Amino acid sequence: MKQFGSFSARASIEDLLVTRGAKLAVVDVLQPAEPFLDTAGDELRRRIFMARGVDGRNVCLRPEFTIPVCLAHLKNGTHPARHAYVGEVFRQGRSEGMEFLQAGIEDIGDADRNAADARIIRDAFETLDALGAAKPLKVTLGDQSVFDAVLRALELPAGWRVRLADAFGDADAMAAQLAALAAPALVPEMPSHIADATDNMDMLTAEIETSMEAAGLPQSGGRTASDIANRLISKLKEARATAAPERVAQLEAFLAINVPLVEAVGALEGFADAANVDLNAAINAFGKRIDALQGEGLDPANIEYAASFGRALDYYTGLVFEVVDKDRAVLVGGGRYDRLLEMLGAEKPVPGVGFSIWLDRIAGGAT
Amino acid sequence: MTVTLALPSKGRLREKAMQLLIDAGYEIQEPADKRSYRATVTGEKDLEVAFLSASEIARELALGNVDAGITGEDLVRENVPDSEAKLEMAVKLGFGGADVVVAVPEAWYDVATMADLGEVAASFRARYGRRLRIATKYFELTQKHFSERHGIQLYRIIESFGATEGAPATGQADIIVDITSSGETLRANHLKVLDDGVILKSQACLFMRSNEDDQTIARLRAALTKLVRF
Repeated sequence: MKQFGSFSARASIEDLLVTRGAKLAVVDVLQPAEPFLDTAGDELRRRIFMARGVDGRNVCLRPEFTIPVCLAHLKNGTHPARHAYVGEVFRQGRSEGMEFLQAGIEDIGDADRNAADARIIRDAFETLDALGAAKPLKVTLGDQSVFDAVLRALELPAGWRVRLADAFGDADAMAAQLAALAAPALVPEMPSHIADATDNMDMLTAEIETSMEAAGLPQSGGRTASDIANRLISKLKEARATAAPERVAQLEAFLAINVPLVEAVGALEGFADAANVDLNAAINAFGKRIDALQGEGLDPANIEYAASFGRALDYYTGLVFEVVDKDRAVLVGGGRYDRLLEMLGAEKPVPGVGFSIWLDRIAGGAT
Repeated sequence: MTVTLALPSKGRLREKAMQLLIDAGYEIQEPADKRSYRATVTGEKDLEVAFLSASEIARELALGNVDAGITGEDLVRENVPDSEAKLEMAVKLGFGGADVVVAVPEAWYDVATMADLGEVAASFRARYGRRLRIATKYFELTQKHFSERHGIQLYRIIESFGATEGAPATGQADIIVDITSSGETLRANHLKVLDDGVILKSQACLFMRSNEDDQTIARLRAALTKLVRF
């Protein structure tokens, strides 16, 4: 299984990636843990190998490459740039093992997102091919920005849009949210002086401010009285609004879309018609990416679009894709992370897209 | 074969556990030297008592260094990975009751449930430039409750090993996960428990390793079960 582990095998994979116009990145095995926990959330703590240094800072064995590559890019990189890597990543609690060999490319700073998306899918596909991955390979593509457009078009309350967008990419969480959406919303219990103030934003904010002061809560750095007041008022509106069973059915219909990419635009138009909503902007943008894929010589007939496919990490903003082999093993995961570089300290948004190959899963590949 | 029963080494848990054992007919011979952490039981040649800190009891049980132990369920669930499979909760002893709960500032009038909290957590970073912070010593229980049960991923845990209820006021964290028995400390600190924020209803229990078939321990278990039932 470790057929790519040798120095020469790694060197030849590096060559493959470099010939695709990427520069080899140098990424330490030992990484500060904070950027990973801060971007992916504390749930990651269970899945990485972390230790506390004598200086009190947590370090971890590299659990993936995207974040360190982005950090290195921010330190000394100029946009746009393409970075390549080959090396081990370390994860806990997986049946396959704890140490995995990965290779991939991160394409950072290219504002032509469709072109960059298409190029990265082609890079992934052709690199797999060159590594001898057994065919047929199936590419599945998803796009959170289409889901976001659907949420807006369905005119769901703001709170629901946040919750549903957060659940996107996690089938269980989504099912739970849809079930909750179908049930009538509850009015939260609150003391009378707050309940009495809910029809007056200023009064409500002042009441909440008083409560916060009484509790000695800091005045800055966290939730503010006006944020709490705003959310409370929209929550009350949601509770008063009649539950909309057709909205749940429409969301379910959208999430069930799973078609060859050539039929995706038609399926989305069909959904928009049936739901009587305007999704033209999102559908046009989606169609342009399909054009870009064709421009890269990729046949959309070999690619599937799954409307529910996404990653439950909030820095993935648009395209996500994966390549599976005939045994449904995921050989490649990739996606667009336009929010990540800002989270890592960039002063303004920087687009980024990349992919990673799980080299150990390539069965019967070139040795 | 000699087996070891671990008891809490101090505080009310120790007193209650000792009293319960006496009531069950186990006369513990406290060591002559009060500072010693070992004791024997009259008429029980094969039973040895070790006094350990309550959280170490959980760990030592999991490692197999002691055969049975009385400690809080919260400590076992927190400190022993896969504790349901590894250890058997043989007898709930009816004391040391306390809940591990998710508590938020009272002034968060818009947050009553975990679903509300999930919504707040999801947009926290965009609004305040950082993740929602949770002060707790219960890393495992928090992660299970937030991630596995409620699908909430976007938070950071701030390690807190004391005075956790003060963390929101000092600005160390936004909310807490902590243990509470009466809820008084929470109220005094203007915190409220979410409607579905009880992670675990804990109490002191007799734990033993799964598949434990030692006769001495079986007798102890039977004696404690009988006592607690009446």
